[in-house]
Amino acid sequence: MYYGYKDIAAHAGRMPQAVRALIVPQFLAIGLYFGSLIVAFLAVMGTVGTISSEIESGVMQSIATRPVRRAEIFLGKFFGYAFMLTAFSVLMYISVVIIVRTGTGAAIPVRPGDLGLFCLQPVILLAVAMCGTTFLPTLANGVASFMLYAIGVVGGMVEQVGYLLRSGVMVKIGIVSSLLMPADSVYRKIVYDLIASTGLSPVSNMMGPFGSGAAPSVWMLAYTGIYILAFLALGLRVFSRRDI
Amino acid sequence: MVVETENLTKMYGAKTGCEEICLSVGEGQIFGFLGPNGAGKSTLIKMLVGLLFPTSGSARLLGRPLGDLGARSKIGFLPENFRYQQWLTGRELLKLHASLYRMDGPESERRIPEVLELVGLQGQADRRAGGYSKGMQQRIGLALAILPNPDLIFLDEPASALDPIGRREVREIMLNLRRSGKTVFLNSHLLSEVEMICDEVAIINRGRIVAGGRLAELLACSVEVVMEIGGISPEILDRLSTLGRVLAVDGPRVRLALESRDKIPATARAIVETGGLLYRLEPRQNSLEDLFMDLVQKEGSAC
Repeated sequence: MYYGYKDIAAHAGRMPQAVRALIVPQFLAIGLYFGSLIVAFLAVMGTVGTISSEIESGVMQSIATRPVRRAEIFLGKFFGYAFMLTAFSVLMYISVVIIVRTGTGAAIPVRPGDLGLFCLQPVILLAVAMCGTTFLPTLANGVASFMLYAIGVVGGMVEQVGYLLRSGVMVKIGIVSSLLMPADSVYRKIVYDLIASTGLSPVSNMMGPFGSGAAPSVWMLAYTGIYILAFLALGLRVFSRRDI
Repeated sequence: MVVETENLTKMYGAKTGCEEICLSVGEGQIFGFLGPNGAGKSTLIKMLVGLLFPTSGSARLLGRPLGDLGARSKIGFLPENFRYQQWLTGRELLKLHASLYRMDGPESERRIPEVLELVGLQGQADRRAGGYSKGMQQRIGLALAILPNPDLIFLDEPASALDPIGRREVREIMLNLRRSGKTVFLNSHLLSEVEMICDEVAIINRGRIVAGGRLAELLACSVEVVMEIGGISPEILDRLSTLGRVLAVDGPRVRLALESRDKIPATARAIVETGGLLYRLEPRQNSLEDLFMDLVQKEGSAC
């Protein structure tokens, strides 16, 4: 990202302000997209076997027979992983912003709201993986969680292209995929808000699959909260009633 | 009663895990739970410690229903296939389980060295558990089971991975636990071990309890005789089978299981009356192994 922008700048000589205003947001979006992808991988890969692998290996037999409720085991693991993923996400977000700032010279702010949303993305995947690990074998849960994540990511891109091509059907496909996996719509909201806050061209938000043609509403965020709670409640219910 | 089950049943779909288990285990004893592979031993233990949910029936441990957290804090459990977090040291594992048992700092600081010494791991406590030998793994599992100074300890094959010295040490630990008034529920394949230390046993086969009670009484209620008979004929064998169960016929040598010693004179008389020449009749006290084999080989026994 850093070297890519430097290369473009070296070839273009003194870049006109209008061109720069279009290119910088693209680099910011790519950086955030890459960061989201890395944290998403960590969230899924790190947690798909949280419960299933401990049941498969037998570790759970010595934990679940102690005087602790299954709900405590489940929620303890969830909050532990959520804390780790949040710390990693903060590090990743700040790194991306610093790299883009240093590379392009654009004044990109670190906004707590956007940082919070960036940290929310892996928590959504964590909730899905934690639910799956209560009843699926580790490998099957990994496949299922990634498939769901891929639906969200590809759906988000389809929606973006839909905005560009003015295709109502493609936009609807994106909306449905966001309902199935809202992590991508959270990413789109971060990108939209962040680019708008930099004072750079809002048109640039419409460009490319990493941009955001429209900011997901606050209702989408509320839906995301319910989505996380629903998966946690389902996981909790299954784990509390299953045989080990 | 420390352990009480009433018609406890676990079904895996159409397959029976164990069926209508009725058990009562009193305080301060070592209770042996025996059965062949797949008979339902581990299923019952897993139900009692809360890993499996019963399909029907009920059970009480330390006077409280299954799953009660108060009772669980006084119960220790060593699973058959004990696994642990391999990156932790033995001491860290014990600290983790002390916190799961909600033991406070001073209590766990006092108790951890005690149990390490008890299982003979005091010099190995700061090594990663992943590097432990099979025997040491079993010892650390045992240390975790007795960590909270429990009133009831479930041990599922505790000596399976141990050498003779280790087995003896485990046996000593169990005897010490009994001496201090604890109840040990021992699931084991090692019949000689069970015979040596258990006060009461129950034998499970095909998911059902086929015998249970005080070990001495169980062994006394059946007797085996070995005879050497001249002129052995089908008629003699038919007659013997009305008195007991013919276990083996090898030339003139016949092994016969009788319900009690009282049937020995009638056996001798039957041989003579049917034209046999009785050269030798030797009663043998049944061992637990004999009893076990006898019961397990029978079909369709009930609780």
